[in-house]
Amino acid sequence: MVFIFGVNFPEATLVKRSLETFYGIGPKVSQGIMARFHIFPYAKVGSLKNQQVLDLTAELSEMKIENDLRRQVQDNIRRLKDMGTYRGRRHAMGLPVRGQRTRTQITTARKLNRIERGGQGRVKM
Amino acid sequence: MWPTRALCARSVWKGPNIVPLPIVKARPGEKVAPIKTQARSATILPSFVGRRFQIHNGKNYEDVTITEDMVGHKLGEFAPTRKNFTYKQTKNK
Repeated sequence: MVFIFGVNFPEATLVKRSLETFYGIGPKVSQGIMARFHIFPYAKVGSLKNQQVLDLTAELSEMKIENDLRRQVQDNIRRLKDMGTYRGRRHAMGLPVRGQRTRTQITTARKLNRIERGGQGRVKM
Repeated sequence: MWPTRALCARSVWKGPNIVPLPIVKARPGEKVAPIKTQARSATILPSFVGRRFQIHNGKNYEDVTITEDMVGHKLGEFAPTRKNFTYKQTKNK
């Protein structure tokens, strides 16, 4: 088991995959981080050197990820709602915000659009 | 990479949509009448802050007081144009 940014990862996990479990890190960002610390794209967590693990943790702690990012997103939506804008209302109702049709195909908006966007807690591996 | 899609909506060289509205400076001890307007696409400028507007929603004029947060948005965002559907029971069948 290897500790990265306070989370335990099994040694057989890909570094890319373990980085992408954090809210706010996707394929593009994880690629960039791994390139910066000279980590092979298919490297496993177990093959990392101690210094690389520390570097990764230091890098992640400087970024705006996880709960900080969630709070930022939620604050932006709440600001729209408190001002009384159309966009804020649509978020609160769980409907499309940018003028899409609502007759059919609004499952994504139903799932995602809400005041408390981003959910709570980590994504399970 | 785009900074944000919202900024892409309008070309920078056009600047904000400035509509000539009758904004007068409020003198102390004098009540200012709200500004009645149909210009929903007018960008809210810093000089609008604290003023009352009556914004057309297609049918009526909605009262909105402009706060500092609203600068940069459009007037129409604060006057919803659609009514929620409510079922009305018919009396005569």
